[in-house]
Amino acid sequence: MRAFVEELRGVLGASKVVVDPAIVSLYSREPTGLSSEAMAVVFPENAGDVSRILSLAYKHGVPVYPQGSTTDLSGGALPERGVVVSFERMNRVLSVSILDSTVDVEAGVRLGDLNIELSRYKYMFPVDPGSVSIATVGGAINAGAGGLRGAKYGTMRDWVLGLTIVLPDERGSIVRVGCRTTKCRQGYDLVRLIVGSEGTLAVVTDATLKITPLPEATVVSLAFFPTLEGFYEAYRVIKSSGVQPLMMEFMDSETVELAKQTVDVSFKAEGNMFLVAVDCNVEAVERIEGWLRKVMIESGATSVYTARSMEEAEEMKLIALRRNLFAAQIAMTAKLYPGKSIVVHPEDIAVPPSKLLEAIRAIRAVSDEMGLKVSIGGHVGDGNIHPAVGYPLDDEKARRKVYEWYREVARIALKLGGTVSAEHGIGVIKKELLQMELEHMGSIKALEIMRSIKRVFDPKNILNPGKVV
Amino acid sequence: MKNPVEWIVAEASRCVYCGFCEPLCPTLRPGGHRGYGPRGRVNIALLVVKGYKSEEVVKALYTCLLCAACNTACPARIDIAEVIREARVLLSS
Repeated sequence: MRAFVEELRGVLGASKVVVDPAIVSLYSREPTGLSSEAMAVVFPENAGDVSRILSLAYKHGVPVYPQGSTTDLSGGALPERGVVVSFERMNRVLSVSILDSTVDVEAGVRLGDLNIELSRYKYMFPVDPGSVSIATVGGAINAGAGGLRGAKYGTMRDWVLGLTIVLPDERGSIVRVGCRTTKCRQGYDLVRLIVGSEGTLAVVTDATLKITPLPEATVVSLAFFPTLEGFYEAYRVIKSSGVQPLMMEFMDSETVELAKQTVDVSFKAEGNMFLVAVDCNVEAVERIEGWLRKVMIESGATSVYTARSMEEAEEMKLIALRRNLFAAQIAMTAKLYPGKSIVVHPEDIAVPPSKLLEAIRAIRAVSDEMGLKVSIGGHVGDGNIHPAVGYPLDDEKARRKVYEWYREVARIALKLGGTVSAEHGIGVIKKELLQMELEHMGSIKALEIMRSIKRVFDPKNILNPGKVV
Repeated sequence: MKNPVEWIVAEASRCVYCGFCEPLCPTLRPGGHRGYGPRGRVNIALLVVKGYKSEEVVKALYTCLLCAACNTACPARIDIAEVIREARVLLSS
């Protein structure tokens, strides 16, 4: 391993290879609470550097772990010995074409920074995971990320047109896959195979992404319901109306109470929260606003607040409770385990929207049964639910209990026709659940196919080994 | 009067590693690695408490501007800038 690192320094230059254990440790940990030990962190500045890294790693049989900003929630970016390849120095927006509706970016560009750049053209990249300000394009591609606007705009899978990838082979082959056009029939769809493969098949160095105009106007409605049934009635009416909201966010009443402790809001916030945003043209704003208010009230909302633009919604703090969900979950866990280092585990299932209410009730019931304090929220527009529990980092018994809870929540998802991982990925934490899902479907053969694909791309199993399959 | 070692451990141990502090940091990008950002520095402070010292660690902690922009984004409400300042005191003593 030492010979490999020395050779790497010789080839790339010492400034691109960091071995100080303190710095390396910063790349050996995740928000999941999982940590490990890498040998070095490498900072490539172009695809050529990545090619040289993979070629050398192939020669020495050293594991390589590509990393974005390590906001992963499934253990997907965790190194185990080997070297971390960090894309922090490949952070350029290469070109924007409004006529083509595309942007070319390096893997280390943060999604938040990309949208700041695109806003100059009144455009956006619509995939917005909760970690949008820090998540990188490469990380989002590897994770197959989704987000708050998923119901309308889908996930990374829907917005990546082309990729430059580097393969873990003798030459560190640089390969371009996909097109610069939305329509593209280039044989088997390798772009969509790479998106969501969690860095196990190839290393993404840059991407051609689709972009879309910023909405002309957005109406935001925030409502609170004393009952889950009331919330679900409003959800059902809006989902069945022919209007496709930009955002549909839910927090149950217990979670609203937690979130209120982390942010000052001037309005009354009691009950189950339902936040809906609809993008439209300016002429339709008044009509949509009135319609949303009517649906919420007729469904049993006790308080409804609306804004006629995202800016107004921000000023009124209509989105603040949802934004503070993670802070609320941290506060909840910190209160349960004062003075302890804690981990917050957000689950990530999706169920068909018709089964949403059933899923929320079942999650609450199983959590209560197991004696776990749970907060329930999610991007409900596409049936994606993120119930979360926390535990002290050094409490192995508590960790095992939370992982058992994970399995119970997964069983609920599968029973209702859903999936165990909507947007966070499989990593190491959900490998068992992936197997459970495929067995449930009677499709365990699919796992064999995935393992075969892994062998084709990575015959020496040096690229993010131990993840997904 | 607070014990700086105990205070750093209590404060920095609350980091959940989400990284929400990083986009606000003016020194992260020019620094070139995570040690030049608040998430890195908070966790480096925990190593300094244990007696760890290296050239990279000194650079990471002393390039912080102590602007505290990161504090405003931390969901765990850690006083990141103060952790870094206290870690510098430990490093220099």
